[in-house]
Parts: sequence; C-alpha cells; structure tokens
Amino acid sequence: MVGLVAVLLALPSVIGALPASDAGTPAADLRRAVLASADVPFAGYAQSAGGLDLPVGDQLTSAADLLSDRTTMRAWYRGPADWRVDVVAPTGETGVHADPGGTWTWTWERAVATRTAPSPLALPTAPDLLPSALGRRLLSEATDAELSRIGADRLAGRDALGVRLRPADTASSVSRVDVWVDDASGVPLRVQVFGADDGQAALDTGFLEFEPTTPPAEVTAFDPPPEAELREGQDAQLLQSATRAAADGHRVRLPAALAGLDRRTIEGAPRSVGLYGRGVTLLAVSPLPGRAADGLRDALVRAPGVVVDHLGVRISAGPLGLMLVDGEDGPVLLTGTVDLDALATAATDLVPAW
Amino acid sequence: MIAVELRKLFRRPRTWVTIGLLNGLPVLVAVLLALTDLAPRPGEGPVFLSAVLTNGTLYPLAALAIVLPLFLPIAVSVVAGEAVAGEAQAGTLRYLLARPAGRTRLLIAKLVAVIAFVLVTVVVVAAVGYLTGQLLFDVSPIGGTALSGTTLTSQEIAGRTLLAIGYVTVSMLGVAAFALFFSTLTDSPLGATLGALAVLIASSLLFTLDAASAFAPYLPTRYWLAFVDLFRDPVLWRDVVRGVALQGVYVVVLVGAAWANFTTKDVTS
Amino acid sequence: MSDDPVIQTAGLVKRYGQLRAVDGIDLDVRAGDVYGFLGANGSGKTTTVRMLLGLVLPTRGEVRLLGEPMPRAARRVLPRVGALIEGPAHYGHLSGRANLALLDAAGPGGSRRTRKARIDTVLEQVGLAGVGRKPVKAYSLGMRQRLGLGAALLRRPELLVLDEPTNGLDPQGIHEIRDLLLELHRGGTTVFLSSHLLAEVEQLCTRVGVLDRGRLVLQDQLATLTAPTGATIVQTPDPGRVRAALDGRVLRTDGDRAVVRGADPAEVNAALVAAGVPVTGLALERPTLEEVVLAAASTSADRVDAPGERSRR
Repeated sequence: MVGLVAVLLALPSVIGALPASDAGTPAADLRRAVLASADVPFAGYAQSAGGLDLPVGDQLTSAADLLSDRTTMRAWYRGPADWRVDVVAPTGETGVHADPGGTWTWTWERAVATRTAPSPLALPTAPDLLPSALGRRLLSEATDAELSRIGADRLAGRDALGVRLRPADTASSVSRVDVWVDDASGVPLRVQVFGADDGQAALDTGFLEFEPTTPPAEVTAFDPPPEAELREGQDAQLLQSATRAAADGHRVRLPAALAGLDRRTIEGAPRSVGLYGRGVTLLAVSPLPGRAADGLRDALVRAPGVVVDHLGVRISAGPLGLMLVDGEDGPVLLTGTVDLDALATAATDLVPAW
Repeated sequence: MIAVELRKLFRRPRTWVTIGLLNGLPVLVAVLLALTDLAPRPGEGPVFLSAVLTNGTLYPLAALAIVLPLFLPIAVSVVAGEAVAGEAQAGTLRYLLARPAGRTRLLIAKLVAVIAFVLVTVVVVAAVGYLTGQLLFDVSPIGGTALSGTTLTSQEIAGRTLLAIGYVTVSMLGVAAFALFFSTLTDSPLGATLGALAVLIASSLLFTLDAASAFAPYLPTRYWLAFVDLFRDPVLWRDVVRGVALQGVYVVVLVGAAWANFTTKDVTS
Repeated sequence: MSDDPVIQTAGLVKRYGQLRAVDGIDLDVRAGDVYGFLGANGSGKTTTVRMLLGLVLPTRGEVRLLGEPMPRAARRVLPRVGALIEGPAHYGHLSGRANLALLDAAGPGGSRRTRKARIDTVLEQVGLAGVGRKPVKAYSLGMRQRLGLGAALLRRPELLVLDEPTNGLDPQGIHEIRDLLLELHRGGTTVFLSSHLLAEVEQLCTRVGVLDRGRLVLQDQLATLTAPTGATIVQTPDPGRVRAALDGRVLRTDGDRAVVRGADPAEVNAALVAAGVPVTGLALERPTLEEVVLAAASTSADRVDAPGERSRR
C-alpha cells in the first residue's frame, strides 16, 4: 500500500528525470533555429513566474502584476498573425486572439472585448511572456560571442537544448538568459532571465505541455459574444502620458547615446520617447506629465531599497531599473534592463547641468 | 448493508436540514442580487456570480461556487465524521458489529453513503440554483458564454454543468475520506469533523503560501476550482484530470488507513 | 438438551498496556445452561463479553462460540447469537420497529421475507406490541431495554448474551423479562447472563462463573455451590440452651439462631426436644449465592468451604 503510493508520487519526477539527449548543436545554430521557428504551429500550456516586484503606482499595475505573479497561459499558435493566448485565472480568463489586423482581447470577468491595432511600443502583456515569443525576442539581437551551450533537459515531455546568453554591455542588469529550445521544432520551451545576482531567476517562463500540431482555425478565431461590450484598444497610459507631455511642450533632448547605449529608432513610436541599447539591454526615456510623475514618485520613495539623491529617485527590482529624473522642462522617466549605476550615468548624460 | 446505510442517512431529518441550510446561502445571494442589481466587481466574489445578472443559466454554477469553499466541505465533514464515531457515540456500533455487519462491509457502506450524500447535496444545490436562476434573473434563450468568449448552447451548458456536478462531488471525496478516517480513530463525531476541517483549513492556507509551493500540487483543495475549467473553450482538462486523480489517491490512502485501523480496533464504546 | 459447548475460552487474556483487564480465563458454557456471569464493576466482565462477540480482540487465548473460532467465524456464528451489550442503543429519531428492521437488514441470516413477522413477534414477546410509530427518543429507559432485548431475539438465537437485561425495569417488568428468559430457555436457548445482581442470577441461573480482577475464580453449577453445608439452623428463643444441650456441636449462635453441626434436622430436633429446648424452626444450612461470591472474590485462600467464618469477618 505505502509502496504503491510512493511509486505513484515518484512517477512524475522519475519520468521528468529521464536523460535528455544532447545533440551537439552549436549555440549559434540553436539561435538561428529559434529565430526561424516563428512559423512553427503549436498548442501548449505554459506558466510564467516573475519575481520582479516593482513598486509602481496605478500606472503600470497590469504590467507589474505580470512580472511579479505566476501567470498560467494556454496558447494556440498557427502563425505570427494567427494565434491565441488565454491567461487562465482560477475564477476567470483573459484571451488575446491575434489576426492580421490586430488583436481581440476578451476579458470574461468584465464581458469586454477590446480591439487593438498593432502597436510598435506597448507595455508587455501575457502573450509576450510565452516562452516561444520571449525566447525569440531575447535571442533576436544576440551576437554569437554572447552565446554558449548549457546542456539539455526534458521539458513538457520533449528534448530541449539549452543556450545561454550573457549580454556584453556592461550597463546591463541582466546577468544571463537561459533559453531551452525544442530540439525538433526550434521553439523555445523555457526562458529564464537572471538579474545581476546569480540566484533565482527574475523571470521564469516555460511550457508544461507542448504539442507541435496545427490548432484548428476556429480555436484561434474570435467573434465577440452578443452580450460583450466592445471597446477600442488604446495605447498604454504611460505612452499617452508621454504623448500628452510632449504636446504640452514638455520635451526631452535625447542624445545619441546614454550610459554607453546607442539610440535606436522605432517605427511609429512617439518622437518624445527614446529607446537605447541592444538585445536584452534596453533603456527607455520618456517625459511624464507632472501629475503622473508625482503619483509614481510617491509610490517609489516609500519602497524599500530606493535610492534618492540629487539626480532623482531610482530603484531596481531584479533586472528592471526605474528612475525618475527632474529634467529641464519637467519629470523624465528612465526605465529598462540596466543597473542603478547605468541609470545614474544616463541621468547625468540627460541633464548635463549637473 | 449499503441500502441500510443509505436508509439511515436519508431518513435522518438532520441530513435534510443540512442540505436545506446549504441551499440557503446561494438563494439569499440570488435574492439580494436580483433586488439590488449590484453584481460583485469583476474578478471579485465567487466565480460566475458577476455573469448571472445578464444570464441566469449560469446560476447553478454560481451556487456551487458559493458553497464549494466552506459550506459544502463542512457539511461533508459533519456527515463523514459522524459515520463511524456517531455510531460509536450512540452505542449502536457494537450492535451493528455484533449483528454482525462486518467491519469492512460497514466501512464501505459508510463510504458509499457519504458519497451518496455528497452527490445528492451537490445535485440539490445545482437544481435549486437552476430554479433560482430561472426565476430571478434574465435567461438567455440561446445558452451562455464560455469563459473564453465563445457561445455555448443550452445543451452544452447542461452537459458541462453535469460534468461540474460530478467534479465537485469528486472534489469533496478527499475531505470525506479524511473525516471518515478520523471517524474510525475517535468515538467523538465532533472530533472527527473538526479534524477534517482542520486539514481543510490548513490546506487552504498552505495553498496561498509561496513557501509551501513544493507540495501545493498535493493539497486536497488544490484543484477544487478546476470545475471552472470545464467552462473554458476548449475545455481545459489538465487540472480536472489531476484533481480527480489526486482525490482518488487521497481516498485510497485514507480509506485504506481507516480500514487498517477499524478492522483491528477494540470497540469499547 | 445436550452438553455441547456453546461458549468456550482458553487462556483468554486482554491486556491494556500494563493492565491485565482479563487475565487467562477459561469459560465453559454448555448448551441449555443459563449461565450467570458475576463480577464487580471493573472485574473484566464487559471486556470478556466484548471478546466473546468479537468487539474486542484478545491479546492472547482463544474464544469458541457455538463450536467455531471467534472472531474468525463471526459471520457464520454471530447471526445465531443475540446480544444485549452494556445497555441498549438505538437510532433515536426512528421508531422501534424501524430500528429492528434496520438492524436485521444490516447483517446476514435475517431473511427479508420473514422480517416483518419476526419483528411483530419479538415486539409482542418483549411487551412493545402497542408502541406504534413513536420515535425511540421518546421511549422510557425500560422500553428501550425491552427493545434492546427484542433486537437480541429477532433471529431466534441459539445463544443469548445479555448484559444487565433488567436494568431500568420496574419490578413487574423484571418479572416479565425473567419469565420470558425462562420460557426461551425451556425452548432450548442457552442464556449467558452477565450481571452484578446476585438475586437475579440466583433466581434464573443454573450455572455460575465469578470474575474477580480479571480472573475466573469460580465456575460451577449453582446447585453445587449452594448445596447444604452439613449444618442445621435451629430457630429458638434461647440459643444459650442449645449450646448447653448439644455441647461441642454448636458452630455459632446469633440472635435467636444457632447453627448446629449435623445434616439431619430430625436428629437435631429430637436431641433438642429431649433436652427441653424450645424449637421454633429448623432448616438445613445452605450458603447463599452472595456468600459464595463474596468468598470467592476475596483473595484469601478460604473459599466456599467456610462460609460461616467468612460472614463473621
């Protein structure tokens, strides 16, 4: 009797520990396989766990929740413009259905269906945390020199090959990113992002179930149900704030480089917002209206571990850094995957008067 | 023997009083909702409750969700805790065993009676919920909306509701097995009931604790809410299957322990 | 009536930790006996009865009931045994009839076809025929006792194991139940009666076992235990003169009684009359069951053979 129970309990871990075969694929080939896997259809069940406790106000709540909580997702992927990701909550569900014209976001608890057009610069949402999407994004700008192999594992019942990315930028607050890639399809099955301290992953997302089959079209399609309230999607509040601030004449002079990170351009993003860096080391700079900045500052100064000095208020949560600087025309928000020193350097670069 | 236990259970006024009380809360909630039209804020309160104002078809599920966390397990603990200890306290256990009812048979009959109680209770809650939903709320003729935003026909809703009834019944078996096991340990039905409730509360608490996440998958309450997954589209079977298997393991282990204890125990009550 | 063993135990021991509740007893109850099982509270009576019925499992030793080993053969044996254990117990919310029906259906050997008739018969037998649908919780203690006895009689058992069956009954009730038991006994039922009421046992039983601190200190026919002691009791207004007349034969005197050695009252009478001693009564001396039990239950070596000395202590 007791023996039987022991066997039953041990079964999952025994199967999980079956040795994974490590094909001798070089890291660079693995990265190319990942980038080429955008067309691989699949159906899966994934969980992401974030340890990023950002002490932000109401402005960023949904994104902050995503990075600090455990999120359970079901995914059906037919192609880059035809997929569906449901965030499964114990008492509800939020589903994102993508089609070539944009996305439908269905929130069951509110019975609201929101149509959103593709946006070049949006706050992260649950589909971005899917290992397939996140792994592809994080590896997209990695150089071969930054990559190494880290063995193999069994994930979601499949052979997965590990590739490790160590960003070369000194400003980066990300020490490494481990991506476990499905040997057969090239789809990332698990992504772990580690902060400066080599401890627990700051973000860990992986498939628990993964099937490389094409899901039926009716599963990814979406027709708003009759009682649903239909809404138009809007840009994230923060972006709206930035645009509004810019419209009020509050502009930031954006240099070509900040803290050693080069400026990059994003098609369609508001001109007042600047993005710097490459790969997993990114820094965003945007002006904030005074009111929004006050709320954020109030939330920040009360948080543990915050640094307040003549440069402004800055804080880091795992690999995420956030800083509020008083610019010449008004408050400026710096945020990204850079460490506190880089934030301070960026602040001095931005406001040379200091 | 099973027929005897079923007769004993269902001829007992207390059984029906318990089931009646259990239905009181969902009916009260429905009346308040219908009168005030104030649904709980989305994402708060029991699942399905915010949806019933627009479509009463889902009220059986809202009723189950209302009684699932506390009322139902308490009722199950009371009845299952009573099973053996109640007979011991009343002194009837010695007569049953001297009859002889056979200890193993008696235990199995008690288990079956408890399962029957759970099933009847859950069905009654769903049925009262159905009537309440039809009477107090607007009912959509075409069915309802799945959590995933797809439309379910009335037949689909009925079928999935039956599955949910079955799943909720199975979910209660772990608690029932705990109470039954404790019931063979003590001659006090109250002690057995409180023991099972202590397990339940500990399980609910540990489930919310990140530090306990290593054994969270094995907590008896872990998959209770998975009946909600039956109303996603496509149905998410993962947790439902795990929930059934987990309850099965609890039942096998605890009923085994109850059997081992009861068949070798000196009956001195 | 045969001499088949109905209850037999061999070296029966029940130990609770250090305490030996039952310490090696060898019961021997035969078919046709009305066996009185006597003992003070805490002497191990209840534990023994429970071991006979398979409720308590022996630490050591064997129990054979109706010739079969217990508790192994419980399913075959117990349907042929009726029991009343430490007072009756019923489901209070159900009627007496419903209680009997449930109990009968709960085990083997109670045919469903004859159930109603059997219930009617036993309710008649124990005097509850007219009780109707009243729930048992409204019964008096005596009625519950009768119902418990009725439950024990449902399947016409060959052996009745009764623990204090007249508890809670009024004198008429006790008389009725005694008559009922005697009638059943005449019909061939063996009765094992556990009691602390000596009078009850004395009036009913043919055989007696006495339990003291877990040991069976006495087990014999009642007739043998209370057989004449070989002395004669003389009732006289003047016991002093008896001593004078029958010097050396008088064992003791108290009040208007003298106990004289000699198992022939006529000879004693003749001797006293010859001496002119007024005699108002003569009887053979027999020990009472109480005396026997008290003597047996003591730890000293003197037993049944010296009841007189026992009573003087």
